[in-house]
Amino acid sequence: MSPESVLQELLARALLPPAQAALIRADETRRPFSLHRELRLLLYLGIVLLSGGLGVLIYQHIDRIGHGVIVAAMAGLMLACLGYAARHLPPFTWAEAPRTGFLPDYALLLGCLLFVTLETYLQVQYGVFGSRYGLATVLPAAVFFALAYRFDHRGVLAMGITALAAWVGVTIQPLSAFVTNDFWHSRLSTAAIVLGLGLMATGLLAERYGRKAHFAFTYLSLGSNLLLLAATASLLDFTPGAGSFPPVVLVPLILAVCAALVWYARRAHSYLLLLLGVAYAYVVVTYLLVRLIEFTNGFNDGGFVLLLFYVPLSAVGVVWLLLNIKKLLRPR
Amino acid sequence: MSRLYAYNPAWPHHEAIQAQATRWHKRGLLTPAQLSAAQAAFPLDFYRPPLLLRIGLFLFTVLGALAGAGLLGMLLQFNFLGTLITTLVIGGAVLELVISGKRLYHSGADNALLYLELLGIGALILYLVYEQGGQGAHDPALGTWRLHWALLLTLAVLLLATLRYADRLVATAAYLNALLLLGNLLLMLPLGTMLLPFVLCAASAGAYLWFTRQLRQPARLYYHRCLQLLRGAALGTAYLAVNYWAVREGNAALLPGYLPASPQIPLAGLFYLLTAGIPLFYLAGGLRRPDRTWLWLGLLTAAFSVFTLRYYRSVLPAPWAATLAGALLTAVAVWATRYLHRGRHGLTSAADAADDQQLNLESLVVAQTAHSAPAAGAAAGVQFGGGHSGGGGASADY
Repeated sequence: MSPESVLQELLARALLPPAQAALIRADETRRPFSLHRELRLLLYLGIVLLSGGLGVLIYQHIDRIGHGVIVAAMAGLMLACLGYAARHLPPFTWAEAPRTGFLPDYALLLGCLLFVTLETYLQVQYGVFGSRYGLATVLPAAVFFALAYRFDHRGVLAMGITALAAWVGVTIQPLSAFVTNDFWHSRLSTAAIVLGLGLMATGLLAERYGRKAHFAFTYLSLGSNLLLLAATASLLDFTPGAGSFPPVVLVPLILAVCAALVWYARRAHSYLLLLLGVAYAYVVVTYLLVRLIEFTNGFNDGGFVLLLFYVPLSAVGVVWLLLNIKKLLRPR
Repeated sequence: MSRLYAYNPAWPHHEAIQAQATRWHKRGLLTPAQLSAAQAAFPLDFYRPPLLLRIGLFLFTVLGALAGAGLLGMLLQFNFLGTLITTLVIGGAVLELVISGKRLYHSGADNALLYLELLGIGALILYLVYEQGGQGAHDPALGTWRLHWALLLTLAVLLLATLRYADRLVATAAYLNALLLLGNLLLMLPLGTMLLPFVLCAASAGAYLWFTRQLRQPARLYYHRCLQLLRGAALGTAYLAVNYWAVREGNAALLPGYLPASPQIPLAGLFYLLTAGIPLFYLAGGLRRPDRTWLWLGLLTAAFSVFTLRYYRSVLPAPWAATLAGALLTAVAVWATRYLHRGRHGLTSAADAADDQQLNLESLVVAQTAHSAPAAGAAAGVQFGGGHSGGGGASADY
């Protein structure tokens, strides 16, 4: 529908004085066309290509360039990026700082990426940290957390959380957890569960006390993802290790976290968290049912038929739940 | 006429008015009181949740419908036709009932049911044409009358479904089906292979003009979302029809016998020119009008042209190409952002105040694409691991 025909409809219902309609009409013709998103996309692509290509190039030509040059170039570029970001630094506030434009944001991001590359390079080439791997991984976490809070940047915060998780011994990039991480190690999954709980608590406290309340979503989504993934994986593990929680602990834990997510999603209108809560709760309830059938009479006819009806009916139930979520979750 | 529409035609109307009013409100052109008055005058009494809930509804509806169909199949002892037809009848009834009863409007659940229904009908058509259609080849082959009839039937179904449900994906499928039908007809003619790229390109251009004209008509508001996507799809197929890679590989696939490598095509120079020129034409057109569809198609086709070039000629080693392209892209983006900061030539790099972000996914995307901590393996000091360069995976395209 063209803006003009919308104006006509609003005028026809006397929802708008004609003078204001003329103002809107003038604004519609004068307003420039925003290339904001396209330029951001190009910039992001450019940064990814540049850092990726440079990384490979350095790797290939490491013999010829000399380590000192590489370190100096990376450090210089990193400082330039951080310096540019610092020049546009808004004054510190515990609330969400006003944005000064997206270029400083991206400069900060590139600077942080370069920091990681530089640190890895120094460690591998010169062994700066020796065998203190804990220090090597906790340093970026500390730097990123500090930068995220000072520069009010959620992307850097996510990188800091990821670095923290690496320090605990697990990387929580949403997809690589499926690809590379081995959650079957029970000690790792226990650590991931504890870290996830900590992150979720941090997010809730941040919101409760108004200390960077807009960071709460990043904390909650990454923390709950980590916790639920690790807990579900160790729940479905056929050969649980010595250090992992027994199902008696895991099932109530997952269900409680799901309930907490749904509770929070209702307050913050965050449908991502809502979906996460519902999906994991569905998996756990299905798990319970299967174990129950297994426990009572094994997979003979009755249990099989029950499952046969359970899958379509429960899916319909979830659809019904999602369709009526507004009514169920309406705040008092 | 209104019996044709599955959804209430007032819904897209009210939705368009509310969306425009909200944009004006965000830009400070409407007072909050005026906005709520407009929202009261044009109420949205349908159900369409935010994107993530739609995805959830879609997945669980597919799960439930497929499990239900499986259950039905067991009851019918896996008789193929009996199960399929019964499922289709029940599914169609459920689709109509939930739309009218629960007032769903492209809410994920109705999309899922519609797609499953159409997939089922498509399977039925292919089954009838190829398994029950008498003697002859059982495999669909291009350039045969049998495929022609099958495509004609599926096109009819998709068109009717588009007219009734105005679903964007179904509309695109119908459009592609029509192009395939045209291509299949051409392949039955002598010289058809020669003409194929040009006829498909011309048909796409004609379709683009028709979609654009339909989009301007107020009476077509019900199909507005479909037509917007179809405009982009038509621009895309117009490019792909004459893209050098598509033409050369398509030609090789159509030649009989096994070929170790695709042979050079006639008129190669013309196709080089079109492959290089169309993205620039789209980008220039998108900036001049300005038109976001043209702009995005320009970016996409430019990326595909780069792929085409690198598929046949290795201009630069991949890391050098990625580095140079990345530096160029970054420089252009930074320059354009600063140049257009205040707004020139009717363009601006500042965010449109009315752009509503449905999701703040950026932090998650960053967490995924940026390797933010030294991996344990690299830290172990065995070797300088190559996999640590901040999202180097993208260099494969360039």
